[in-house]
Amino acid sequence: MNAPAFPSGDTTALNGTLAAPGGTDRQLTLAIGIQWLTAIATLVLVLAPLGPILWQSLLDRPLYQPNAVLSLDNFTRLLNDAGFLRAVATSFELAFAATAIACVTGVGLALFLERTDLPARGPFRLFALAPMYMSQLVNAFAWYLIYGAAGYLTLFGEKIVGVPPWDMYGIGGMAIVAGTSMTPLVYLFCSSSARMADATLEDAARSVGAGPLRVLWSVSLPLMRPSIIYAALLVFIGTLETLAVPLVFGRPVGLESFTTFLFSRGLGAITPDYGMVGAAAVLLLVLVAVLLVIQSVLLKGAGRFVTVRGKAQRPRRISLGALRRPIAAVFWGYFVLTLMLPLVAIIARSFTTFLTPLLSPLRVLTTDNYALVLGHPAYLRSITNSVIVASVGALVATLGIAVIALVAKRSAFRFAKGLEYVAMFPRAMPGIVAGIGFFWAMLLLPFAHWLQGTIWILMIAFAMRGIPIAYGAIAAALIQIGTELDQSARSVGAGWWKTCTAIVLPLIRPALFSAFTLLFLGFLKEYASAVFLYAPGSEIIGTTMLSLWSNGDTGAVAALSVIQIAITGVFVSLAHFVTRTNRDV
Amino acid sequence: MSDVLIQRLTKRHGEVTVLHGIDLDVPRGEFLTLLGPSGCGKSTTLFALAGLDRPSGGRIAVGGRTFYDGEDGTFVAPEERNLGLVFQSYALWPHMTVAKNLAFPLTLRKVPKAEQRTRIAEALELVDLGDYADRFPHELSGGQQQRVALARTLVFRPSLLLLDEPLSNLDAKLRIKSRALLKSLQRQLGLTTLYVTHDQEEALAMSDRIAVMEKGRIVQIDRPEAIYNRPATRFVADFVGAGNFLPVRASRGGQGEIVEARLDRGEVLRATRTAAKGADTQGFMTVRPQYLRLAPAGSAVAPGSNRLDGVIEERTFLGVRSAYAIRVGDHLVTAESEERYETGPVTLAFRPEDTLLLDH
Repeated sequence: MNAPAFPSGDTTALNGTLAAPGGTDRQLTLAIGIQWLTAIATLVLVLAPLGPILWQSLLDRPLYQPNAVLSLDNFTRLLNDAGFLRAVATSFELAFAATAIACVTGVGLALFLERTDLPARGPFRLFALAPMYMSQLVNAFAWYLIYGAAGYLTLFGEKIVGVPPWDMYGIGGMAIVAGTSMTPLVYLFCSSSARMADATLEDAARSVGAGPLRVLWSVSLPLMRPSIIYAALLVFIGTLETLAVPLVFGRPVGLESFTTFLFSRGLGAITPDYGMVGAAAVLLLVLVAVLLVIQSVLLKGAGRFVTVRGKAQRPRRISLGALRRPIAAVFWGYFVLTLMLPLVAIIARSFTTFLTPLLSPLRVLTTDNYALVLGHPAYLRSITNSVIVASVGALVATLGIAVIALVAKRSAFRFAKGLEYVAMFPRAMPGIVAGIGFFWAMLLLPFAHWLQGTIWILMIAFAMRGIPIAYGAIAAALIQIGTELDQSARSVGAGWWKTCTAIVLPLIRPALFSAFTLLFLGFLKEYASAVFLYAPGSEIIGTTMLSLWSNGDTGAVAALSVIQIAITGVFVSLAHFVTRTNRDV
Repeated sequence: MSDVLIQRLTKRHGEVTVLHGIDLDVPRGEFLTLLGPSGCGKSTTLFALAGLDRPSGGRIAVGGRTFYDGEDGTFVAPEERNLGLVFQSYALWPHMTVAKNLAFPLTLRKVPKAEQRTRIAEALELVDLGDYADRFPHELSGGQQQRVALARTLVFRPSLLLLDEPLSNLDAKLRIKSRALLKSLQRQLGLTTLYVTHDQEEALAMSDRIAVMEKGRIVQIDRPEAIYNRPATRFVADFVGAGNFLPVRASRGGQGEIVEARLDRGEVLRATRTAAKGADTQGFMTVRPQYLRLAPAGSAVAPGSNRLDGVIEERTFLGVRSAYAIRVGDHLVTAESEERYETGPVTLAFRPEDTLLLDH
């Protein structure tokens, strides 16, 4: 999720091809060996799902069958498929609407929490980021339980006004669910830019006669434009990629999206139309790639947002005066409606047999949902699998991605720049596309079939998807470290690899830890790429929730959701504790 | 008629007191400079006047209207004071063109579009930037940005012009040019102006009056010539470039009178007292280097003139003249002369009118 172009430091002095003082031949061979191995492994990992999809999109029959003929027939069929076109249109409408919602809420949060004297900023900051820790799937279920057709508040409202007060099924409802769940993304990028803003620009506006709200609107807000554009495209892409929201709030009323189309055609049908799924996946990939290019183009020329800075920066907040409390009340309302009520609903549902305003929840209290989830070996296994995939997978992936970053940023490897592009490419690959790609790769590749149905293929797919975000965190830390530290290690006789392991990696321990945290949370939440890859024995929480959901077993889904939230909570507090107590990490 | 009236203005940040009761009375049309080192409270005073800093006590009134009164809690919001503030960093809004920057205060005042255009054009013409209306701030040089900031302040015809070190980000040559522009604009528009700077030359060149501030207090307020020639305290003298401070014990006398001062080694000199102090006091004597005349050791001095004997320790060639480091007792004195002297004993002569007696 970071911009791909990190300025690389001066690497000429790190040259592995020249015999550095004390650099022995053995060290040199090791360096070149590791660099090539890393590059090839990364390339294979990224191409493994990409190649089969591209290949399949051009074949007239499933890619495992012999005598296939190359043609563009899949694309013509796809573009003439009314269902597909409708799905694409739905996806776009949803993405625009969700982006608008996420931008309004995220930017509003950033402005008021970082630039004004709004009360309760501390808890608000916490709430603003909370949805980020939640799986989209859990979030969609939670909203369903409280605002869905038979949702608690929906029925409550119906009891009062006679008709259901709202209908979450459709573009509007989906946009609210997706938009609010992606608000943290916008808040995250805009708040850091709001924190760095030059307060004298706001003072200047005050002094020429602008009131506090006018200053926020005319000065503070436009100054965040680069961050808003960046975040808006991330949300747009994220909404295009989301499977959970259209699955829960679109499909029941026959609204298909790009992702549910891939899901149902690739998985739901008895005989999947391989060619069409391949072509659709390629289109989605191209679409996201184009959006990423647009993003980087739009962000060019952000230089004019940099101004002459005065002496001491006076960190000041805009005083809202009498508006403080009313505005804070609006924020409380927002968090109660979009975060707390859905959370309370899913917890309440997990401990009851029914959740309805017609019946006191205390009369239907039960632990059956948890008994079901923890008593059934397959369900229990999905929890342990999730934890293993998240911890082991994230650990291995962090180390591997660290090596990728070292080769791309800290070596004289010939294709360092190219390696960075390959590493950032998975940003363009939606989870569901990656899942289809790895699934087909296992059918095609000679040794890959014995990965089939194991949790290892899940880890591989998740790791591939996780490269960009972890790479971003690690590379940003790497460019903070002066190359003279490497150079001095080289000059006293350490080879490239020795320098990396003894000097560079220890210095970026905090970044490695945060990369691990990001990957762990990402792996724990991931479900879209897993639906094509799991098999009995390799279920994870997300896939089990999906199958329980399609059986209508809402109580068990709620219990699993709560368990996933609990695991996340424990992990986040542990990570917090580690960073707090250990300054080195 | 007083335009700006500041009374007993105080500002505290927790335990630290930044302003210890400032009193200031600025008549209409005056250019008053707050001069002092960083941390003396000059910017705090300016921002309190602008309403961007809330004082802890005292009273501020502009044009008869009370902006702040610590007694009854009056506080007028900055946007309602109609004061023009130019920031040290210029604070041009980077996302707006020059014209938009100037239009913003006018739009807030609901000035019709057509009138906005003429007023913007006028203001830009005033600062010689007529052709730059459609540029963005980052496309301008530092000097141009500074002038846009000035134009943005003048365009809405504020009742008061406040300038916070507006020239400190410019190079030396541009600073002198901008100084002249600023002064002529101020005179032309007749705007009451408060100017904050730590640059004595700027203050001396532009101001009608200078208020020298030290540690949250105004230590002297007077016309530039008086500040320069008759600094009241050693701090002020030091700040306006005087040197050669010699500790003395002075005799009784009023302000402006020539009194007798005794140096620590016993020499008795005659000096002009700059501050009113009745009693026999401890103080400092100062003579600017250019007022010290050098003469061969032991020569006679003009009647009525002060005399000190010393030893030249070092000569620094400055071009037309040379600077001499001369030891007088335990002190090192600097003198400047066009004549050439070698190291060794020398006699210094200086007039009592050029010899100032300062409070410590």
